[in-house]
Amino acid sequence: MDKVLLGLLSGIAFGFIIQRIGATNADKMAKAHLMIEPQIPQFMLLTVILSAIGVFGLKLAGVGRFLPLPTSILATGVAAVIFGIGWGLTGYCPGTCWAAAGEGRGDAIATLVGGLAGTAVFAHFHETLVPLLYAPTNIGQITLDAWLKPPVFALILLAIVFSGGIMAIGKIWKKDESLP
Amino acid sequence: MMHENKSPYWNLYPAAAALAGVIVFIFATFGPPASSSGFVSTLKGFFQAVLPDYVAAKEHYQLIPGPGSWLMAFVLGMAIGGFIAGRSFPIPVRDVPEIWERKFGPSRFRRYATAFLGGFLILFGSRMAGGCTLGLFISGSAQMAVSGLYFGALIFVAAIFTAKFIYGK
Repeated sequence: MDKVLLGLLSGIAFGFIIQRIGATNADKMAKAHLMIEPQIPQFMLLTVILSAIGVFGLKLAGVGRFLPLPTSILATGVAAVIFGIGWGLTGYCPGTCWAAAGEGRGDAIATLVGGLAGTAVFAHFHETLVPLLYAPTNIGQITLDAWLKPPVFALILLAIVFSGGIMAIGKIWKKDESLP
Repeated sequence: MMHENKSPYWNLYPAAAALAGVIVFIFATFGPPASSSGFVSTLKGFFQAVLPDYVAAKEHYQLIPGPGSWLMAFVLGMAIGGFIAGRSFPIPVRDVPEIWERKFGPSRFRRYATAFLGGFLILFGSRMAGGCTLGLFISGSAQMAVSGLYFGALIFVAAIFTAKFIYGK
């Protein structure tokens, strides 16, 4: 039961924060994808840097549970392209659509229902699709800190690359001053 | 920052620090945060009630715990968090985004149909890759997983091309 309570509380905090940055606003997300709204992609990259530092600290302290997903060159790549097309169409992610549906946005509820349908279809064909697309090019749970030693170098590399991304977005994404 | 920015949205630096705090809390108390698994959890609960033999026979539903799990509580919590945040925010919510209405008109049906298709694709892709923006890109990259970095780079590129195709210049 305490796992359910922890999940619920974590979700409430998560949903509240992503609404406040505008990630549950499909208009802002579309503008982020059109490269005229830099705040949300910059926010995502900075969140990754700060989370990576926190996760690094947790590992040093020996607290928490970590499970990096495997990389399948074919399936992860194909799935990312399918995901990106869907993300461009709707402007919501599998997480943001729950918070946006809670806000009362009709198109987020449509996304959520579409997501349940997409999940059901993939789950139905899992036994065919995973051996076909995922398994043959699965190169395992590879992480940067496994081959860049000591691991702090991998963390520094990640922070440098993502900071570069934040700066590049600041230069390339032309901010539309008429945005609310 | 006290310049003339009257936007009710938060500045990205404190917002990113707050969200990273929640993410690190989740790693410490549960494990890698994930959203798309919550869809599987929800569906598993539904199918267990109406088609229990089907759920028992399908591998995808065996990989993810059903309702009563952290995963489902998390997505429900997100809906509650979104509700509280939306109710305490000065900008009213819309069913059809402004940018969509300017290009395609105010028809709800058209927007909802597109949103449904987009939702279908993001979950189909997430379940194939094993995670979504949060469960694979953010969680994975925070653990320095190559899968998260690879997925993250490609979803941005594909979404940028798709948005440019839909909304044009």
